[in-house]
Amino acid sequence: MQPISAARFGAGADAILMQRRSKRYVIAGAYAAMLALVIWSIDVTVVKDTDWERIGSLAEVMESVNRFIGIDFELFSNLLVPTIETLMIACLGTFLGLILCIPAAWFGAMNITPYKPVTYPLARLMMTLSRSIHEIVWALFFVSVVGLGPMAGVFAIAVRSVGFIAKMTAEAIEDIDHGPVEAIRAAGGSPFQVVYYAILPQVLPQIVSVVIFEWEINIRRSAVLGLVGAGGLGLVFFRQMNTFNFHGVTTVILAILLIILMGEAVSYFVRRRLI
Amino acid sequence: MAILKVTDLHARYSAKGPEILKGISFEVEDNDFFAIIGPSGAGKSTLIRCINRLVEPTSGSIIFDNRDVTRLRRKDLRRLRRDIGMIFQEFNLINRMSVMDNVLSGRLGYTSDIRTLFRAFPRSDIEHALELLERVGLSDHVDKRADELSGGQRQRVGIARALMQNPKLMLLDEPTSALDPKISREVMELIKQMAQELKVPCLCNIHDVKLAQEFCNKIIGLQDGVTMFSGATELMDEAKLGEIYAMEVL
Amino acid sequence: MANEDTVTLFGESKRRQWRRFKYPQSLYSYGGWLIAFTIVVYSIEYLDVPLDRMLGMFGRMGEVLADRYYPPDIEYIMDLDYFGYVVETIQMAYLGALFGLIITVPIAWFASYNMTPSRRFVYPVARIFSMSCRAVHETIWTILFVSILGYGMLPGVLALTLFSAGFAAKLLSEEIESVDMGPAEAMRATGANLFQVMVFGVWPQVRVAFTGIAIYTWDVAFRAATVVGFFGAGGMGWYLKRNVLQIETERVAAIILSIIVLVIISEAISAWARNAVMKMK
Repeated sequence: MQPISAARFGAGADAILMQRRSKRYVIAGAYAAMLALVIWSIDVTVVKDTDWERIGSLAEVMESVNRFIGIDFELFSNLLVPTIETLMIACLGTFLGLILCIPAAWFGAMNITPYKPVTYPLARLMMTLSRSIHEIVWALFFVSVVGLGPMAGVFAIAVRSVGFIAKMTAEAIEDIDHGPVEAIRAAGGSPFQVVYYAILPQVLPQIVSVVIFEWEINIRRSAVLGLVGAGGLGLVFFRQMNTFNFHGVTTVILAILLIILMGEAVSYFVRRRLI
Repeated sequence: MAILKVTDLHARYSAKGPEILKGISFEVEDNDFFAIIGPSGAGKSTLIRCINRLVEPTSGSIIFDNRDVTRLRRKDLRRLRRDIGMIFQEFNLINRMSVMDNVLSGRLGYTSDIRTLFRAFPRSDIEHALELLERVGLSDHVDKRADELSGGQRQRVGIARALMQNPKLMLLDEPTSALDPKISREVMELIKQMAQELKVPCLCNIHDVKLAQEFCNKIIGLQDGVTMFSGATELMDEAKLGEIYAMEVL
Repeated sequence: MANEDTVTLFGESKRRQWRRFKYPQSLYSYGGWLIAFTIVVYSIEYLDVPLDRMLGMFGRMGEVLADRYYPPDIEYIMDLDYFGYVVETIQMAYLGALFGLIITVPIAWFASYNMTPSRRFVYPVARIFSMSCRAVHETIWTILFVSILGYGMLPGVLALTLFSAGFAAKLLSEEIESVDMGPAEAMRATGANLFQVMVFGVWPQVRVAFTGIAIYTWDVAFRAATVVGFFGAGGMGWYLKRNVLQIETERVAAIILSIIVLVIISEAISAWARNAVMKMK
């Protein structure tokens, strides 16, 4: 008995060693492939596609960076209105997104979707569409629908936010404790009462924190939508860039940083109060 | 006259799944405190949920208060449910709402959707809720959130919520399983007292045989979806108990 | 009325009082709602959003889609030239994410409160750096780099680098902050310096999370890469811009469609890879 089992043991160890070795080869291969990919990518994007002559020496690059250092104080008075506009686009966009997210989350939560074969994929499609298209592209589309101005920005932000808010909300709804739902149904509650009394209170904290999170991101987004004609700070940025007022560009960026900091502070405060 | 009459009830969760209930029949009379006992997995919970159709029975009849429960359409079903109070094992309170709102949620069957939206319950409901909360000993906790309470206190909220419905029958689904023995007894005593005062018959699904024998006047014993015993509590003896719980001992 | 009977069911005569309105708390929450409501109404007023035309707008949206963007010119995107741009976009995203992740590691270390070398100097600097990377939108980074370095993919890669760094640094530093400090302290007790603690005590704990973050970063960078070209860096965005300017809406629709398909594919790959990593753990 003894020698046989020892032999078996030896064979087993060999197999394990072999396995380990082959696994190591696979990993080494993967790294090599990654490295090759990096070199190829660098070659294509950085080496071949760059106009090195235009860039010139490092000193010249530093010089063009230097142009941006400085603040254009005269721009301050012109910044106030676009800044407020940007904030408003973010707020309204988030709000509209929240409203649009009601049907999306309702259809997209496996456990409450009204007719699974149709409404569930429909909602998932809505969420994916909203998240996979960049806000700039959405803004382009809405500018062509409703014309230039903050309206297009509001729509773009709203549509772009729906996906994330609805996805998180739907996941929260799928995770709820089913007990209260049963209790409200047993008391003779209507479907609306079940949603309002048993589901909503359970998911409200998540919704609030997701919405605040999204609002913060939306401030950042709404600050650039002006680049394609949807109002706000982006438009000012665009104008400064086109008139080569580089100090003005820096000023606008600082303004954007400022409102984002503000948004972060507000979200921190609200989150602490509510949760 | 019997308030609830169940005849030859069958139930299964899915068309291909195993049959959970295999022909159960019993009657609950006025003033009964009716216990359903049996090992876990015997179908007690399913049986109790068939009465107000939280689980759809596959065949058989349930007559409650001269209404054929299995045939009711959606609106009538809701009207039926508000006549049947239910108390749950895990309390099933809405944790983030106040005790008051939880108790008031027992009135939802009587409340329109618009009133629900603003949580504007009639004054009489609020007074009724306060009265019930005083009875179950929670007057000091009216505005606390439900998740701040202890297990026993939460079940008291559950009792108050069920009684808010002015039920004609109470369904108790393992009301004491999540509580420790001392609190269990207190809660059962409270339920029995309130049920007698308000003349509400109870159908109680209970794991603890001692509690069942102490508080209930009739017992039905289930095993694997089949009735093993049915009758007055006094007729229950060790041999029959052993038979019911045979599977569990093994 | 039945209700009247039940109120006096227990033979009580005492009047009980209860109000939903509690003096300070309710006032605060109603005040909060009122402020939020005012902001929304005032914004609608200020931005001149025509609420009455809002519903008609959806009809118009469908019209525009049907008229101008349908049918998408699929043939246009089915040629090799466009495919080259797609590959470029992927490469840009890949490099941007890679460089971003490389600089993320030290920044996330410095910006994690429990492991930072100096809480007074390095910590705030790293925090501010990662925050500004995140706060400034990738398109703005692109425009800045294009104005400094000229058109081409290099500015795109650099913009994506900063974008990815800001994104990943936040996630990674949060991960480092939630690490179990036990092993780290044990190592420090044996006399290891901060770098050694980082490499042997902390890194093994966050390695799996970092792989997940890396995959996620690539996914997000790809999404951003589809538009950086719009502002002068290469890739599909450049194609998009050309057709937007020429009002070739059916081609634009086709390009957007291709973006959607690619994003869905990349999302699927990233979800699969993250699952695989989690399992390997």
